[in-house]
Amino acid sequence: MFIFRLLMIIFIIVSCSTAPKKAKVKNNSEILNLNVKKVVLENGLRVIIYENNKLPIFSYYTFFDVGGRYESREDGTTGATHFLEHMMFKGAKKYGPGKFDSMIEGNGGSTNAYTTFDSTVYYESLPIKSLNTIIDLEADRMQNLLLMPDAFEKERKVVFEERKYRYENRPSGKLFLKMMQTVFEGTPYGGSVIGEVEDLKALTRDQMMQFFKRFYVPNNAVVVIAGDVNADDVIEEMKDKFGEIPFSKELAKIKSSRDNIDLYEHRFSKDINISLHGSSPVPMFSMAYKGVPLGHRKAYVMDILSSILGDGQSSYFVQKYVKSKKPVLNRISVGNYNLKYNGVFFLNGELLKGVSLKRFKANLKKDIKKVCDQALDSRNLQKTKNQYMFGFYNAIKTNAGVASFLGTRENFFGDYSYYKKEIDIYKSIQFDELKQVCQEVFNDERVFISLWNKHSK
Amino acid sequence: MNKLILILILSTQSLFASIDNKLDIKIKKLDWNGINVVFLEDNTFPTYDIAFYFADGALSDGTYKGLTQSMFNLIDSGTRRFNQKEISDNLEFYGTSYGAHVTHEYSSFEISGLSKDIIPTMKQVCHLFSDATFPRKEVGKYKVRKKNSLNNLVNSHGALIQRTFRELSLTGSPYAYPVGGKLKDLKKVTSKRLKEKRLYFNSKVKKRIYITGPSDILRIRNIIIEECGWSGEKASFVRSVKYPKISRDKTDIFLITVPKANQAQVMMGRLLNHDEITRPALLSFSSGFLGGGFTSLLMRAVRTNGGLTYSISAFAGGQKEYGRSGVATFTKNESLEKLIETINNTIESVRLDKFPEESLERARGHLKGSYLFGFERSDAFLSQLMMLDHEGKSYQELYDFPKKLESIKKEEVINSIVDLFSWNKQVLVVLGNEKLKKSLQKFGHVKEVSYKSFL
Repeated sequence: MFIFRLLMIIFIIVSCSTAPKKAKVKNNSEILNLNVKKVVLENGLRVIIYENNKLPIFSYYTFFDVGGRYESREDGTTGATHFLEHMMFKGAKKYGPGKFDSMIEGNGGSTNAYTTFDSTVYYESLPIKSLNTIIDLEADRMQNLLLMPDAFEKERKVVFEERKYRYENRPSGKLFLKMMQTVFEGTPYGGSVIGEVEDLKALTRDQMMQFFKRFYVPNNAVVVIAGDVNADDVIEEMKDKFGEIPFSKELAKIKSSRDNIDLYEHRFSKDINISLHGSSPVPMFSMAYKGVPLGHRKAYVMDILSSILGDGQSSYFVQKYVKSKKPVLNRISVGNYNLKYNGVFFLNGELLKGVSLKRFKANLKKDIKKVCDQALDSRNLQKTKNQYMFGFYNAIKTNAGVASFLGTRENFFGDYSYYKKEIDIYKSIQFDELKQVCQEVFNDERVFISLWNKHSK
Repeated sequence: MNKLILILILSTQSLFASIDNKLDIKIKKLDWNGINVVFLEDNTFPTYDIAFYFADGALSDGTYKGLTQSMFNLIDSGTRRFNQKEISDNLEFYGTSYGAHVTHEYSSFEISGLSKDIIPTMKQVCHLFSDATFPRKEVGKYKVRKKNSLNNLVNSHGALIQRTFRELSLTGSPYAYPVGGKLKDLKKVTSKRLKEKRLYFNSKVKKRIYITGPSDILRIRNIIIEECGWSGEKASFVRSVKYPKISRDKTDIFLITVPKANQAQVMMGRLLNHDEITRPALLSFSSGFLGGGFTSLLMRAVRTNGGLTYSISAFAGGQKEYGRSGVATFTKNESLEKLIETINNTIESVRLDKFPEESLERARGHLKGSYLFGFERSDAFLSQLMMLDHEGKSYQELYDFPKKLESIKKEEVINSIVDLFSWNKQVLVVLGNEKLKKSLQKFGHVKEVSYKSFL
């Protein structure tokens, strides 16, 4: 949600500017009226074009509205979406094995992808001369993925190595995974995007192909192209290459069974404490509270709350636990992670050597009771908005940044320009509302997880 | 103000002709009280990026290792007027982002923010450089945090192998010791020495300033001159190092043991002497061909065909006086032996010229095309200019890169890879479970060291 935080503040900040009168600051509408064109093809594919003629380069993003939320422990499919993401680079009918990345890298480009519970996103950036080839190549893999058996088995091993690297040998990854699984237990967010080892071992090529055919359809995708392009020409090319790909009639039905918001409601309703064994020589911890879905007004207020509490050296918890006269933590951060149908608000930290975990936990819970009275004031609110504004500009300094920015909104809200509404929300957030949300967030329904090498296995 | 406007002459190659048409690159070189200022105008957003370059780094620390990095890290810990909380609150109120980067050869302090707030921000930053007192209590807390961070490095095997590999592969050179020092050095970090270090950097060390943003941000000139108090004439020291050439003719194998790891982190490489870093385009091409991107020889052999790892990369490059080359990857414990064999076989296939011709051209095309992206963000472009100045090279080098790349012959790449990555010249460092020793012994004598020795 961080990017979301960044955009909205603009109007407010300008009104609070400390700038001398002579400073040439572009007004908000100038910054925010990005030169964008959107079309929806007959098969439902949404295409968004942003023209930026500064350099002869472009970025191409594809968002599929499919992620770990469509998997489950029950049917043994955890990790399937992420595994499929890897296989999308392993060849399709026209551009066979090895052709995709060879073409991209040979022409000076780069490519990658990521998978979350909600989305799978593919992206590449190249010199402009390769635009039409990329469009052709993306159209090919959206409809004709090969899933060669040999490549499938080799990539399965690669996924296991990624799992070890990101989670098994990294205490912070292990802690995050456990937090998500506990906070969202019993919901479609309660699995793991990387997948459980048993499920990954058992996943078949046929299962993956079925998954691909179900979700990798034009009416489940958004394409954003940003760079040195002529929007009308690109739209014609997209129609030519993607226009004939059939839309899925079953998609809506398949998704509706999994996208029922009731399925995503938090199941826990008490103070949960978990001790996790891990290699960390000092205790690491996460304390998580119930969050809200993306796009809710409260989600934006919680963004500001998380920043006031944990972003930067002057933030409340950093000053209280890390920089105070008697520090107890080596580091602390606060996050507000909003997913499509629910969210989590959490603190993450690492104790200093010799600090009692038991005592710290008790003190933290006590401090939390006072935090809404002590941490929040109008200066901190304004400071956070200023920080967001700078972050916003930074986020759209590249074609890739703009493509990600627009595509994320189109994918989640069906409207690439949703940021304008978000700005209005951020503009309107005042101290009283912030304090009220703070009091709602910090209640006794929470999850405290610590990881330490002294915890029993 | 002596102002020299330098419009860079762009190459006539088609690639650059296209940049020329698209981008009006205007680099101004200014003189502020004897300090060279490089300004890249960028009106896209109302933001700025500034980097203060200092021509000395951790090599100035002598027996007080880590002092330079500590000084820069603690520059915001207190002055006679403000405490650390007030300082960070003031700077962060403007949305300012700031931080230091210290290497052995040079240091930089970078500030970014909204251009409308540049005046109060720079006043605050100059106040820090001219008045930071490094309060004893803050220094004490910093040392506790630093000690914890070092001890907790075991939580990040990737970061830990970077640290150990650096020390082991650069042994014998002045660049082996960690820039930030080790645990044992912390006791020498005192408020008094930090103040002396700040004064040294303010009054003795040569500086350059790199700025990008709208032109009105140059209003900070007087603040820099009067409130930072910097002068180009008085502060002129530039770090230069002479060290005996280091040649390697055998492989050294180290196993760094960490508890309960089920994956082996692997790095192999060596130090590049000054005379080995004179052709950066060749180093980039060679290392990119071997291990850059998804289509490199190593990625194809180790990941795509072998399923042995998630990631592998090769690198080769230099700063002013030295360089480094290496390969970095990881694999499960059971496949360590196969991984090392596959890397060596891949390098051997290069030596024997047994690789597809198109893979070489693909690597060349990749570097040529990706070069354009170095201009996309003005702050990244400015960083490239800073490095060229640091190395004493002309900005023309930047524009000549594609031309140089084009002229590199296949034989040169083969020779370069053999020279940089041949097994008998490498320091191989594996970080993981102690049981890995058995697999490693098949490649030679293994020195087993606990990770704690490197903290």
